[in-house]
Amino acid sequence: MNRSVTISFGLHTLLFIVTAMSLPFLAKKPIDLPPIISVELIQITDKTNIPFAPKAKKIIEKVKEKEKKLVSEQAPPKKIKKQKPDAVPLPDEKIEKIKKIKDKKQNPKKVETEIKQISEFEQKELFDSNNIAALIDKSKVESAETNKKLDKVTQNQDKDMDFAGLTLSEEDALKAQIFGCWSIPLGLPFNEDLLVRIKLQLKPDGSIIRSEVLDHARMNKPGQKFYKVLAESALRAIKLCQPLRVPSTGYERWKNMQLNFDAREMLEG
Amino acid sequence: MNLSKILKNGFLILVACLVLTACATKKSTETLGQLQGDVYTGSDTVKELASGVPDRVFFATNETVLTTASRETLRKQATWLRKNSDINVVLEGHADERGTREYNLALGERRANSAKDYLMTYGISSERISVLSYGKEKPVDSGSNPLAWSKNRRSVTVKAN
Amino acid sequence: MQEKCWKDKMLFRYLFILLILLPIKVFALIEVDITRGNLNPLPVAVSPLSIDKNSKSNFKKILNKENLGSEISIIVENNLKQSGLFNPLNKDAFLQEPDIANLKPRFEDWNLIKAQALVTGKVTFVDEKLRVEFRLWDVLAGKEMMALAFTTVPNNWRRVGHIITDKVYERLTGEKGYFDTRIIYISEEGPKTNRIKKLAIMDQDGFNNKFLTLGNELVLTPRFSPTNQMVTYLSYFKNLPRVYLLDIETGMQEVVGDFPGMTFAPRFSPDGKKIIMSFAKDGNSDIYTMDLENRIVERISNHPSIDTSPSYSPDGKHITFNSDRSGYQQIYVMSSSGKNVKRISFGSGLYGTPVWSPRGDLIAFTKLHKGKFYIGVMRTDGTGERLLTENFYQEAPSWSPNGRVLIFYRETKTNKKGEGFSAKLWSIDLTGYNEKMVVTETDASDPSWSSLLSN
Repeated sequence: MNRSVTISFGLHTLLFIVTAMSLPFLAKKPIDLPPIISVELIQITDKTNIPFAPKAKKIIEKVKEKEKKLVSEQAPPKKIKKQKPDAVPLPDEKIEKIKKIKDKKQNPKKVETEIKQISEFEQKELFDSNNIAALIDKSKVESAETNKKLDKVTQNQDKDMDFAGLTLSEEDALKAQIFGCWSIPLGLPFNEDLLVRIKLQLKPDGSIIRSEVLDHARMNKPGQKFYKVLAESALRAIKLCQPLRVPSTGYERWKNMQLNFDAREMLEG
Repeated sequence: MNLSKILKNGFLILVACLVLTACATKKSTETLGQLQGDVYTGSDTVKELASGVPDRVFFATNETVLTTASRETLRKQATWLRKNSDINVVLEGHADERGTREYNLALGERRANSAKDYLMTYGISSERISVLSYGKEKPVDSGSNPLAWSKNRRSVTVKAN
Repeated sequence: MQEKCWKDKMLFRYLFILLILLPIKVFALIEVDITRGNLNPLPVAVSPLSIDKNSKSNFKKILNKENLGSEISIIVENNLKQSGLFNPLNKDAFLQEPDIANLKPRFEDWNLIKAQALVTGKVTFVDEKLRVEFRLWDVLAGKEMMALAFTTVPNNWRRVGHIITDKVYERLTGEKGYFDTRIIYISEEGPKTNRIKKLAIMDQDGFNNKFLTLGNELVLTPRFSPTNQMVTYLSYFKNLPRVYLLDIETGMQEVVGDFPGMTFAPRFSPDGKKIIMSFAKDGNSDIYTMDLENRIVERISNHPSIDTSPSYSPDGKHITFNSDRSGYQQIYVMSSSGKNVKRISFGSGLYGTPVWSPRGDLIAFTKLHKGKFYIGVMRTDGTGERLLTENFYQEAPSWSPNGRVLIFYRETKTNKKGEGFSAKLWSIDLTGYNEKMVVTETDASDPSWSSLLSN
């Protein structure tokens, strides 16, 4: 007993001496902290909203080849007009139509020199190959005449028409709104492809004229129950969120919009 | 380093050491007599098969190995069993609550067999010894603390007839 | 002349079309990526099932229930709420009467109270039987999503509520439901040092609780057969711990096999034809199976370590089990014949009670690390370990038949005097949400979930 006490005392004293020599005194002045700057983290997506430049190249090349067929391609507008807007297009049909539309749109380029009523804005637009390239707008022709009227109203107001997408804040506002409305069904397997793309046709106030699930046929395939459930949840979200938080100007820009519902981030976490 | 600084440091360390040592001594006196490492060495809950023959041995967490103290106890039990050759025993193996139920059943069985094997090396026939595991189902101390758990990790020799 | 005229006409036609097209600003289709949503439960309105006067009085006579239509809808409501995925709305706010709502709901009314889905239906007493038809409506889209009808004996009225919930759940989540199921467990009473344990069974929502043994002997770890008719468990009858079979309907019990030592940790094979269990002898525990028809016993593991808690994969080709052959409790996977043993748990701590999900994709387990217990899941190759909940003491997860929810049990710490001990069943969703206690009459442990009672 005594031996252990002596040893303990001796060791403690040794420790005492050692630390007394080397321990810096604790009561130092506090370090001056730099002022706290609040930083808001905004999620900026990898892609900008300028649509699909790489795709555009391919499409432009294809289109150039078909320029020779211009004359025969004049008919398409009428054909498309006859088709019912509610028809659910099969993937093959869609591609054909897209090609036709793209071809059709080459015409403005060619004929532009003849018609001189075009304002400078529109001229810019027409030259913008990106815009011409990324075209999927079937319903454009139906509302062609209304567009014409609207253009006269809006073209003076929109000065920054170089950027044809939503601005970061506009996109954030819309996203934030839909995040609140979209109740994601939990427990969906996240190793499956669960991307639901919905095309919307909107009124100026943000209410929906028409909505369409792009991969509509997949919803009814056997074994794609999860896709159907996810698509239905996305459709509910859109209906619930009406009227959508759309920008107050530039109706032409966003009147046709596609929302890509991707649940993977939520389900993986 | 100036003197005042050293003195200040020294004072702080002294206080700190005193506080620490104070705590340390308290702990050690409490369990000094009852736990060696993780194994219960006390006499609380231990019954006697006969005068001077403890009826149980204890184990460390997740262990089935016999300690020196356990072996001593079992030697005494073997001696007593040799003297009373008409008595048969059941070795009841137990585990503490800090484990999954099924594994603890297996652990209890293994502990009891450890004790049985040792008794057999002292000439007790295996026909006189049967083994029964209760896993964590029959704790002798219902506390949720290391001391209670150590009392529950045991193999108890019970007279069968 | 004519030809030239025609050409001119064509030219003008083209120009005209181009004129129309030109002013149109060619805008790219804006695409917005929605990568986040909320995890709010879906607001659902469950309308009481409509019931005619005649049926109402008949059911009152037979079942002593004032309004069976209302009672059944309450079961649906509670089930949906318990799942954590749905938010059943308050009935007081409902504007439409049950019988009208079932024929043609006025969606604006239901939209007003923020319902996104609506369940309506009808209950009738027909030929001494209970006939139910129900519909699920998408309120926002304004259309019917599902319509089903079925008939059963009046005594099954609670199951009717569960079956409706299963169908609604499946239609809205894409997964099979788990509401028409039962849970078997060990009911516990008394002080820790002298617990009275009985086999008990109840509906998954806690109703219809029944004791299957009297508490005279220690019983542990009951498990359902896939056919739900039989249960296997460990009993200390006559102080001999052995695996038993119990027929729930008849109450008949029998020992499984004739082993010269303790058998424990039993489970059924997915086809219900075999029992897999541990057999302990001379300090060693190995895994064995016994065929229930021909009684042939097969040894699956042969190792001086403790091998226990075996669980089959749903296809019957693999077995996951608990072994301390590495020195400490870890989880292993092997073929159903015992070959190709592979360790799959490598995290820090001890792993036990592995149980294969009915979906085949995950293995749930108990983990003990630094004095705390965890319930977790990992993929069948050991990757993707996820801990769902942490506690002073909890173990023994069991899967719901859709592989979505885990039920397990939790014990509390006792105070210095050894008092305050309790054991309760808890459940948690695979995603880690909706952790809640399962209400039982007494203390409870060792839960096991049946498969769906209906096919």
